Amino acid sequence: MIKRKQNWRLALLPALALPMVIMPIANSSDGNSLPPNSVYHLQVSVEDQFGEITKLDRYKGHPVLITMFYASCPHVCPLLISTIKLTESKLSAEQRADLRVLTISIDPERDTPEKMLETMERHSVEASRWSMVRPQPGDLRTIAGVFGVKYKQLPNGEFNHTTRIILLDREGTQIASTGQLGRHDAVFLEAIETSLQ
Amino acid sequence: MRSFVQLFVVVSLSAGFANYSFANEFVHIPGGEFRSVIPEGEGDNLIAVASFFMQEASVTNAEFLRFVLHRPEWQRGRAVSLFVDEQYLSKWASPIFLGPRSGLQQPVTQVSWFAADAYCEWQNARLPSFYEWEYVAAANESTADARALPEWQQEILSWYSQTGGDRLSDVRNRSANFYNIFDAHGLVWEWVDDFNAFLVTGDNREQGGADQLQFCGAGAITMEEKENYAVLMRVAMLSSLEARYTTRNLGFRCARRDEVRK
Amino acid sequence: MRRPITIIFVLAIALVACQPQSAGTESGSAHQADTGGSAAGDFGPPQGDPIQAVLTSAPVVPPPVDRDYPAKVIVDLEVRELDMEISEGVTYTFWTFGGTVPGSFIRIRQGDTVEFHLKNHPDSKMPHNIDLHAVTGPGGGASSSFTAPGHETVFSFKALNQGLFVYHCATAPVGMHVANGMYGLILVEPPQGLPPVDKEYYIMQSEFYTVGKYREKGHQPFDMQKAIDENATYVLFNGSEGALVGENAIKANVGDTVRLFVGNGGPNLVSSFHVIGEIFDKVFQEGGSRYQENVQTTLVPAGGSAMTEFRVEVPGTFIIVDHSIFRAFNKGALGMLKVDGDDNLSVYSGKEVDNVYLGDKVAADQLSAVSDVTLADITGTATKEQRISAGRVLYNGTCSVCHQQNGEGLEGVFPPLANSDYLMADTRRAIEIVLNGLVGPVTINGSSFNSVMPPMSQLNDDEIANILTFTLNNWGNEGDEVRSGEVAEVRAATERPQGAAN
Repeated sequence: MIKRKQNWRLALLPALALPMVIMPIANSSDGNSLPPNSVYHLQVSVEDQFGEITKLDRYKGHPVLITMFYASCPHVCPLLISTIKLTESKLSAEQRADLRVLTISIDPERDTPEKMLETMERHSVEASRWSMVRPQPGDLRTIAGVFGVKYKQLPNGEFNHTTRIILLDREGTQIASTGQLGRHDAVFLEAIETSLQ
Repeated sequence: MRSFVQLFVVVSLSAGFANYSFANEFVHIPGGEFRSVIPEGEGDNLIAVASFFMQEASVTNAEFLRFVLHRPEWQRGRAVSLFVDEQYLSKWASPIFLGPRSGLQQPVTQVSWFAADAYCEWQNARLPSFYEWEYVAAANESTADARALPEWQQEILSWYSQTGGDRLSDVRNRSANFYNIFDAHGLVWEWVDDFNAFLVTGDNREQGGADQLQFCGAGAITMEEKENYAVLMRVAMLSSLEARYTTRNLGFRCARRDEVRK
Repeated sequence: MRRPITIIFVLAIALVACQPQSAGTESGSAHQADTGGSAAGDFGPPQGDPIQAVLTSAPVVPPPVDRDYPAKVIVDLEVRELDMEISEGVTYTFWTFGGTVPGSFIRIRQGDTVEFHLKNHPDSKMPHNIDLHAVTGPGGGASSSFTAPGHETVFSFKALNQGLFVYHCATAPVGMHVANGMYGLILVEPPQGLPPVDKEYYIMQSEFYTVGKYREKGHQPFDMQKAIDENATYVLFNGSEGALVGENAIKANVGDTVRLFVGNGGPNLVSSFHVIGEIFDKVFQEGGSRYQENVQTTLVPAGGSAMTEFRVEVPGTFIIVDHSIFRAFNKGALGMLKVDGDDNLSVYSGKEVDNVYLGDKVAADQLSAVSDVTLADITGTATKEQRISAGRVLYNGTCSVCHQQNGEGLEGVFPPLANSDYLMADTRRAIEIVLNGLVGPVTINGSSFNSVMPPMSQLNDDEIANILTFTLNNWGNEGDEVRSGEVAEVRAATERPQGAAN
């Protein structure tokens, strides 16, 4: 029984080796010009606050601030958003226009597009430069792994998660991050300004 | 040209593969409740684990080699540094040859979480969760939960009392546990799906007093039953890792909810 | 008229007496100015080129810093998990900073900025980090240095306080990481440096907890329960029993001033540090900035340190001990300082101390005969000759104190073993006596004895077998070979008197 199965597989192996099957987590092939560390190698689909399906690299070409949070977060997440806004306010209008912000939900089940839109309204966020997106549940760990964010869902529906704001350069490489909340981090701000040059 | 080389390699390797059983069976694990060292919320550490299927052994070098032949983008040198670090599969003689230092039946190590996750996805499976792992690893040969037995703890502590540089033994060298799972302890560390759910600070003396702002929610979860050092050390190990890291003593196996017929 | 003058006179004397001594960290006087602590320890940004720190293994100490400005110092420290000998024939898996227990000695100057690179060898099974007691900052660096196997982390700190500080791993479970050898010392010199001395040495005391008994041969795993119970199997200087003994003794010459940087890695026990035959002229208690003088024994806290200085005036071997004395003689907390030079008979007229004082302790460097036969025993190839050689060494270390090296005993007090009719008549009885002692009147070779022999049950089965084989076959005795199995059988079949071990 088993032997037959193996022979079947052996015959198939050469055939299978020939085509290159492209996975959602695609690695760089010769044609791709992305730097090796760029997070845009992660080709996952996400849904934004307007219900549009897009990819993580929607802001490629601009420096991007990334953070992971969830809309029902009572304590720290509003602080995350205020900190980003505070940091942005230290930039000139011209610099701000070039910067993008992408917040990724760790609660894709409950953070529907409506919920995310409502959160953005509540915080008076510029939709032309900010997006809130939710990944597919199966991709969440992978995205968190790429950004080094730790999270755990509690029985009451809330989450424990680490809080970081990450800066991506125009090609998607992580070049700086900060854990400081409630005020702007001077070193982080400097990195943002450099990336906007 | 590359595909021709791979065809050649596959054909010449098939002689070796012909005698090797790739069957790393998914074994049924009946669900149940148990007390974890990691509470789900504040002080609530009675965890319910639903029935699931888990591979009986760690994924071997041979199995992983088959994977990278099917998925060349995961070969050493082609996988991008976003997903693997510099030591990825570095003990293999080449990206597609194991070589003398990596036995067919040894657990594959030096694989990152992303690589392990991709392998399990290729198998229509996933990585086990930490609770699933802990539930299965609580067993010894005859009982489902042997954690109260000092011998269970001492056997695990004995593994920590040997250096990691020795050549890894093959999988299934020792008897399976109560759930017919081999090498839950004593061979290699293994990735779990939610390895980054441990909000354990780097300074492990701080449990309970963690910075509220750094960990949104209730603060870092404190660990129950600190005497359960065997599991404590696994948590410490997992919390030191990032998803792209690989180490010589870290492998994995896959799990799935239902039995799937390919 | 006189009173005001008296008052002025008294006041003048009082003022003179109360004048502060010239600023300096050395004096033990009550009126010494403070060093100012961390608030006064920041001498500004680092100057000059970055310096690569010189790290040394105990008992060697890096050379004095000899610099008068704050610098950036780069420390590269690698964690390795290694199997090494803890005692003759006994191995243990140590987790080390720099490949040794204790870890490397780091020497910097107050105000230096340290760029700390912690590497974890790829073969390691465990993640590790480091907490340096010299660091002002959360966890002493531990939260910033959590390193997975095969990786490296970097963090920086400024050493604001001078002193002699312990560093150790703080990864959970912390007790186990420390118990496996993850500690060392970092010296932050005062800005003006330490006064020059002739010899400086690094000694670190610590305990080890193994599943097997003291000196039980083979590879020993860590015993968590013993560690929790604070029941140490080994209490050692510098991580192994022979580390400071015999050829490995630290050395000095008559007339030298010796400075010892003493640390205590714990994990549990406090040390009562003493050098037999010497008095510490100065002790910087707990590694701090003031010294006490003329101290015989000083306490070194677990996770703490002390700096001692003394001048050696006479030659000889000076035994270094933890004066909780059972640790010195039954668990290995013993080292040696060998001083060479001319006698100074006016100071001390006595003889070398090596053999007699060690009492019930066998010097670690003579034990190869013992481990040879024990290993042979396991494979069933031990010969009578091997037992006799091992037994001779053990007898000289344990039994000769009373029964004398020539086996003649002491008339009326300790029975002879040479040509002893009592001994040769019944081997099993001899085993019982060694295990359980003997009280009450006995007649041996026609003389009567009524003394007390204490039980020697703390000796292992193989040690007793070898000692008895030796006594039964020495000094003209011609007898059997005694095997470990026979001793074990008697041990199991008889009861130990109250208070005896095992």
